[in-house]
Amino acid sequence: MSKETATYVLAIGLVLSLLALTGAARTFNLAGNHQGYEPPQPIAFSHRLHAGELGMDCLYCHAGAQKSRHGGVPAASVCMNCHEFVTATLGAVQAEEAAAKEAGRAVEPVVSPEIAKLYEALGLNEKRERDPAKPTRPIAWTRIHNLPDFVYFDHRAHVGAGVSCQQCHGNVETMERVRQVETLAMGWCVNCHRQANAVGVQGRAVNASLHCTTCHY
Amino acid sequence: MRQHEKHYWRSPDEASGGSGAHCGDARDVDAWIEAPPGHVNRRDFLKAAGFALSAAATAGGCGKAPEQHVLPYLNHPEGTTPGRAAFYASVCGACEAGCGALVKCRDGRPIKIEGLPEHPLSRGGLCAAGQAALLGLYDAQRLRGARIEGRDTPWSGVDQALRARFEEVRRAGGAVRVLSRTVTSPTLQASIDRFLETFADGAHVVYDPLSVAAILDAHGATHGARVLPRYRFDRAEVIVSVEADFLGTWISPVAFTAAYSAGRRLDDNGPKMSYHVQFESRMSLTGTKADERRRIAPDEASSVLRALAGRITGEAGQSPFSEDSLKAELRTSLEALAKRLLDARGRSLVVCGSQDAEAQRLCNLINEALGNYGKTLDIRRPSMQKQGNDAALAGLLRELEEGRVAALVIIGLNPVYEIPGGACSAELLRRAGLVVYCGEREDETAAAAQFLCPDHHFLESWLDAEPVSGGVALRQPALRPLFQTRSVLESLHAWMGAPADAYDTLRAYWRDHVYPRATTADSFDTFWNRTLHDGFARLRGGLAQASLRDVPVPDPLPVPDPDPAAFTLTAYPKVGLLDGRHAYNPWLQELPDPVTKVTWDNYACLSVAAAKRLGVRDGDVVRIDAGDAALELPVCVQPGQHDRVVAVALGYGQTATARFAGLGPDWFGKRASVGEDGLVGKDVGPLLRIEEGLVRYERRGVTVTPTGTRVELACTQTHHTITVPPRLAPAGGLRRPILHETTLGAFAKDPKAGHPHAHHIFEGDLYPDDHPKRGHHWGMAVDLTACTGCGACVVACQAENNVPVVGRDEVRRKREMHWLRIDRYYSGEGDDVDVAHQPMMCQHCDNASCENVCPVLATVHTEEGLNAQVYNRCVGTRYCANNCAYKVRRFNWFTYRHDDPVENLVLNPDVTVRSRGVMEKCSFCVQRLQEAKIEAKRLGVKVTDAMTQPACQQSCPAGAIAFGDMNDPESAVSKRIASGRAFRVLDEINQRPSVTYLTLVRNRASDEAENHGRDAHATEGSGHHG
Repeated sequence: MSKETATYVLAIGLVLSLLALTGAARTFNLAGNHQGYEPPQPIAFSHRLHAGELGMDCLYCHAGAQKSRHGGVPAASVCMNCHEFVTATLGAVQAEEAAAKEAGRAVEPVVSPEIAKLYEALGLNEKRERDPAKPTRPIAWTRIHNLPDFVYFDHRAHVGAGVSCQQCHGNVETMERVRQVETLAMGWCVNCHRQANAVGVQGRAVNASLHCTTCHY
Repeated sequence: MRQHEKHYWRSPDEASGGSGAHCGDARDVDAWIEAPPGHVNRRDFLKAAGFALSAAATAGGCGKAPEQHVLPYLNHPEGTTPGRAAFYASVCGACEAGCGALVKCRDGRPIKIEGLPEHPLSRGGLCAAGQAALLGLYDAQRLRGARIEGRDTPWSGVDQALRARFEEVRRAGGAVRVLSRTVTSPTLQASIDRFLETFADGAHVVYDPLSVAAILDAHGATHGARVLPRYRFDRAEVIVSVEADFLGTWISPVAFTAAYSAGRRLDDNGPKMSYHVQFESRMSLTGTKADERRRIAPDEASSVLRALAGRITGEAGQSPFSEDSLKAELRTSLEALAKRLLDARGRSLVVCGSQDAEAQRLCNLINEALGNYGKTLDIRRPSMQKQGNDAALAGLLRELEEGRVAALVIIGLNPVYEIPGGACSAELLRRAGLVVYCGEREDETAAAAQFLCPDHHFLESWLDAEPVSGGVALRQPALRPLFQTRSVLESLHAWMGAPADAYDTLRAYWRDHVYPRATTADSFDTFWNRTLHDGFARLRGGLAQASLRDVPVPDPLPVPDPDPAAFTLTAYPKVGLLDGRHAYNPWLQELPDPVTKVTWDNYACLSVAAAKRLGVRDGDVVRIDAGDAALELPVCVQPGQHDRVVAVALGYGQTATARFAGLGPDWFGKRASVGEDGLVGKDVGPLLRIEEGLVRYERRGVTVTPTGTRVELACTQTHHTITVPPRLAPAGGLRRPILHETTLGAFAKDPKAGHPHAHHIFEGDLYPDDHPKRGHHWGMAVDLTACTGCGACVVACQAENNVPVVGRDEVRRKREMHWLRIDRYYSGEGDDVDVAHQPMMCQHCDNASCENVCPVLATVHTEEGLNAQVYNRCVGTRYCANNCAYKVRRFNWFTYRHDDPVENLVLNPDVTVRSRGVMEKCSFCVQRLQEAKIEAKRLGVKVTDAMTQPACQQSCPAGAIAFGDMNDPESAVSKRIASGRAFRVLDEINQRPSVTYLTLVRNRASDEAENHGRDAHATEGSGHHG
């Protein structure tokens, strides 16, 4: 290869990369930083209602956080523990009862359109029994808190040490739709680990490792 | 240079003063740097291209991440937690040895097969083939459903058609034959028998592609029971093996290695070490571990045993125990050996791996004369791992020839390829009225069968196994079948017109036939559940004691004087690939042969002297001509082989390997991983014969002629060398102790025997206060006496750590990615050599030379003594690899292919898949350490040795590797480090590795060592000879 060819390679590369950089500069954010990400979900599940208003424990649904690396999104069968009976909001049910009383008819079952999606996924009929004729389809939730593939975060270590869920996930119990509150960037992780080593977690001294292999392997 | 030091070398070329890079070109550093004048050199071009690319990548890399979805279960299965591994006890199905397997499943799919620690036979080990069998499960090219005459057909259609065809045969009274490998499953055997009973003329023919039918036949003749004894190497103090590679490929290598190793422990109270003598014609894995090794010609096996038998029965020299054909030096060594055997009556074991009926009878006679039956050989509870009957096979082939077989059902065997000599051609198979093939892949036999009824992979099906009489195990599915395959158990029942689920069949058989033999008084359900949980159970019963019959020993047949120009062809199984049933498996194809270190090919092994006589060197293609068939293969010079032997590995040249044509990264310099014929290696089968009812793996009177062409072998033996090149060595030669070796005699006197006398160690610490190891300090200790070099750890590491397969061409370019390699060193002169194996992985040095040259701190030291490699920081300067004294770092030259959704299921979700431009190396399985620490914290328990086993240690059949916390004086690794045998490689450069090795001890008398100082440490030479 001659010097000339190399010059061409350089020049073409320079032009192309400058063009690309100009285009990208407007929307520049660091790769992997999805702070504020708040995608719509296939079912408009409200954490505000469940975790906030009803005061359900996070670990009731996200049981994996205690014993596994993944917090985990609950199986539809977990939802059915309550929603086998709870088919709509209290307000909707009361409204139907009032309407039925007014019209002098029997009370019709009320199923909220969002909860109906759960029944549909499980292939249930009107009586909320499994209908073999209906297909089942897992619910494809959109992932919000997502770390790069070269990072291994372990929920159980943090929950076990007494770190609150809100520390990383924000006040989910106030969110109608879940939003990524923190950057989840490495500096943010490391700062928290440093702080934890300095002041402890919930009054207990901890050993929050600062080493690379804690998360990267 | 000190005269007493033993000189180690890695290849015959190096021994004679060459560069040692005899496999492939000697690529010196200079050759890479120099470029023709007037051209842009490689570096400048890379600078230009690198700038352009990185700028474009920066600009383009800032886009939005793609949307990802989480799909939870609809109905959560009981007892599972996403993200946590579940372990199922099962039986390995990679061969018929039936080792205990522990299948690790994550999120519903198996990601690793490990050894079952409590298993009475395999004792926690699992061989390379067993580990790699996982890849067979996720093989995208498996048969995905049933076919009739090449057309995909639903199972119902197949069953209907087959029932009709079988009914026709039944009415006509035609002959039905089932051809299979050894069936160790009692349930499957019962179902086959029941299936055949529905026909007037039904028979089951068992053929083992690595046949030991001669042993069974010999016991039939001498003891009245055609059985394979269970060999107890752990009980033998003197082991004599004639051509039996029992640590590598023979019958049940994992169990034998575990038992052999148990009889060779030096760390417990006083040394306890068996004495192992190997007579063999080629350098087998077992031969490399032998305390004494004698080269013999393949046709001398029976002469050696005859002479030994004569000396043991006290009739030496008298007919029929004549010793005329034996060389004088062999006679002398046999005299001493016979004495040792007689001193160890009932505590000795003589095994023979030859398919020579006479040799096997002599072997039985010797063991009987030594009183070994019932002690080191068990024929009351015999091995069921090989039941093949070559005579029956020959009968079946005759029947096929004569067109007398109406229906042939082939189970799990590829006869067209695996029956030697082309004796079972596709044309011959077509003479059967009906051929039903229950295999897993579209192979040579599938092409000749009308009905393809693919069986499950063993991880998908219910079955059982009784590899040794009285030891039974359950195999349970680890996932739902991936494809539309069906257990052969279900297929047989469907064709009998009584469809039954495999689980129900199994349970019913166990209730009726296995449970009554149980040794406990539990209910059937408890017995079943416990067996399922433990993976095995012991049963009562066994054969009536067979005893020696008075069979006269025939006089030796006259051996014709060997033609000095002719060779004997020896076909041998290669560790990992075995009989070739795993040829589709890229992990095993890329596993270096433990002795030759060649990957991706078979080759013609010639001794140093024979190669010299023929004027050939490594890679020169020779033509091996047996008159009726010929074969062209590259030469691999193998020290320690007999001079009249040309050894070729079995299992190559299969159509299943055509898939590797496109393997490896795509780039302009790419060359295929297959040969010119589109296959990996050449099939030696056509040169072999079935003689007198026995498959013979030797062929006398073949000629070997150089063809003048060359093929570059993909050989790793000279890669990543820790040798100092002669031209870089200081005056007088820098001699580095790599491997320490001694004899049992010397060791008994001084546990530190074998260590170099003077070490000039600089005791300073680079980072005295920076790296205090207050908590854990992880370390490893490798016992070189135990290590056999079998390569199980290499594949275990590959499976655990998502190590990519690079293909033959990239291996030739020294770009193999194995994190753990096993260095093999020869010592001695010419063909009379000792072999030593040394597993070499990242040494996790406290004063690591890689760490202080990394410009981006991508490789750093942790407070637990690990040398961490941070992939996301690495920019790929490769300074660390250049500065590593142990040459254990691997660079990702490419992003290796992970584009098949089925094959990707094998990836370990706990380990990052590395991309191009990133350095990687052994991490001490840090993902397992993290898991162990976090889980211990959660449960509030102490981290123990058992919790922190890295993959290599877990799989090691010999227990050569110990790993643990060096700060804990009670850990196994601390105890090993405290032993007298402990040494560290390249200790004098003060890198303070965390890996300790234990001196290799051979069971030899120490006088030689004392007189000549041969116990001195191994040294890497600088072109000098010791």
